[in-house]
Amino acid sequence: MTDIASAATIGATIDSRPIVRRRKKRITGRSVAVLVFLTICALFFCVPLYVVLTTSLKTMDEIRQGQIFALPQTWTLEAWRFAWFEACSGINCNGLRVGFWNSVLILVPSLMLSVALSIVTGYALALWDVRWAGTFLFLMFMCAFVPFQIIMYPLIAMTRSIGVYGTIWGVAVVHAVLAMPVLVLIFRNYYKDIPQEIMSAAIMDSGSFWRIFGEIILPMSGNILIVVVILQLTSIWNDYLIGVTFGGFNTQPMTVNLANMVTVSTGTASYNVDMAAALLTAIPPLLIYFLVGKFFVAGITAGAIKG
Amino acid sequence: MSIRWTRVAPQLALSPALAVTMVAFIGSILWTITLSLTRSRRVPDYGIDWTEWSRQYARLFNDDGWTIALWNLITLGIGSALAIVFGFILAAMIDREKRGESFFRTVFLYPLAVSLIVTGVAWRWILNPDMGLEATLQRWGFEGVSLNWLAQGDTAMYAIILASVWQSAGFYMALMIAGLKSINSEIWSAARLDGVGLWRLYTEIIIPMMKFTFLTCAILLSLGVIKAFDIVLAMTNGGPGQSTWVPAYFVINALAQKQNLGYASAAAVMMLVLTAVVFLPLVLLTAWQARRRNAA
Repeated sequence: MTDIASAATIGATIDSRPIVRRRKKRITGRSVAVLVFLTICALFFCVPLYVVLTTSLKTMDEIRQGQIFALPQTWTLEAWRFAWFEACSGINCNGLRVGFWNSVLILVPSLMLSVALSIVTGYALALWDVRWAGTFLFLMFMCAFVPFQIIMYPLIAMTRSIGVYGTIWGVAVVHAVLAMPVLVLIFRNYYKDIPQEIMSAAIMDSGSFWRIFGEIILPMSGNILIVVVILQLTSIWNDYLIGVTFGGFNTQPMTVNLANMVTVSTGTASYNVDMAAALLTAIPPLLIYFLVGKFFVAGITAGAIKG
Repeated sequence: MSIRWTRVAPQLALSPALAVTMVAFIGSILWTITLSLTRSRRVPDYGIDWTEWSRQYARLFNDDGWTIALWNLITLGIGSALAIVFGFILAAMIDREKRGESFFRTVFLYPLAVSLIVTGVAWRWILNPDMGLEATLQRWGFEGVSLNWLAQGDTAMYAIILASVWQSAGFYMALMIAGLKSINSEIWSAARLDGVGLWRLYTEIIIPMMKFTFLTCAILLSLGVIKAFDIVLAMTNGGPGQSTWVPAYFVINALAQKQNLGYASAAAVMMLVLTAVVFLPLVLLTAWQARRRNAA
């Protein structure tokens, strides 16, 4: 466990390494070859994005010509408008915006629930002398690897019995539950490096569990909180399985809407609308990635144990 | 009073997490195991007939769909391992040639930010035989090119592998870069002084030194492969026929389509067993390493 965790911390520190000013290297034949190879690979990674973007801006007539790499002859945002306002998911033809707002509504409570639950647990496990802490931590570690399918039916039965199955809250609660083990481990690994002296002094000074949490621990958790929030934001937004299982008829997240729209389409397929819908779903996490990529990378490497 | 409060508060603060672990994880796993021993179909039926407790498992192993799912799991595992190889090559090159490091890293990692449903939709469109890449390549004069992989059972898995390698190679690259950076920089200059060739440097020195990073990657990959569901759903929805079923898909299908609770539970328990098989070596290995470190 410690080794995965240390791999994670190494990952978390890549970006914060000080920039060492290097001597300008002479460009050698080998480095040209390497750069050419890397550029070709970069193209391979970018091609799908390019294709999806250009397809979404074409008309269907143009798409039928079968020139997937060509730029649109007439640029149009019609497919985007249609995907957002009118596209059908099942029998519901209100477009992807329904799913978008559902995803936002799911995101807010599950984010708050999961962070609140795991930050307190991680803090208690790392800094307080709790009986069975080691065993509990080991259990959490095991839980982080459990495949969702094995707890799926019991979770359905439980959420149904408390009446949240098929609602936004059902999806949110299940997200919070499933994310808990990983997040607790992340928080605990972050807090365990706080020196014992600080804790002893704090206990002498005020003594209370919650006051130390509010006055000392929380103010120093800024970075890890951002990392965790971004990790959760992207994984909840990109989730499909929990959304489709626990979401009700009108409370399904955007990914489920998208999948329905694309796979269960009636009539002729409009690839431009499909691609616009795919992009609309991908834009929020991509924005996060390009704006605060550093934290995203730290988050996925720290949450790597999630698998 | 305050002393007692400080001792009680942490325990109290832990109780929600403890309850969640006990109920939602451990309790649920036991619940599913129990269900897998029963004849439950649509509604749970908790009567266990001990003379026939393994009937769901026996059925499972005689089910062609499950056999296909297991074979596909192996195919997907071997195919996705390319992502680790690819990730290592990219990491090694980026690490050698510092120029453009952050640019290349950003480009190689962005697919990971996107939902697998989106990835599947995008690749399915690219592999579309009439209007996608195939049509374009044929128009360019490559007449013999056939990329209609998704329509045929024996090639559909390769399309899924292609999409998942595209999606995850950047992730392994990031882990590998972290591993490479932790290698002492003197090794590079020492190797240069000794005149060790680049190939030997990597195969005989660097890769053995990074064996733990490779192991971590391999385990993460295996766990990811066992969980693979979204990408299969988005690209083929299990089809054509049952040719791209994987265990995760099998369980959901048994539960949602066949409405067979006992059967789905048995398959889910087998998924847990598979996970444990992958996972136990990790626990043993880390325990062994920790002991060795303590001994030293």
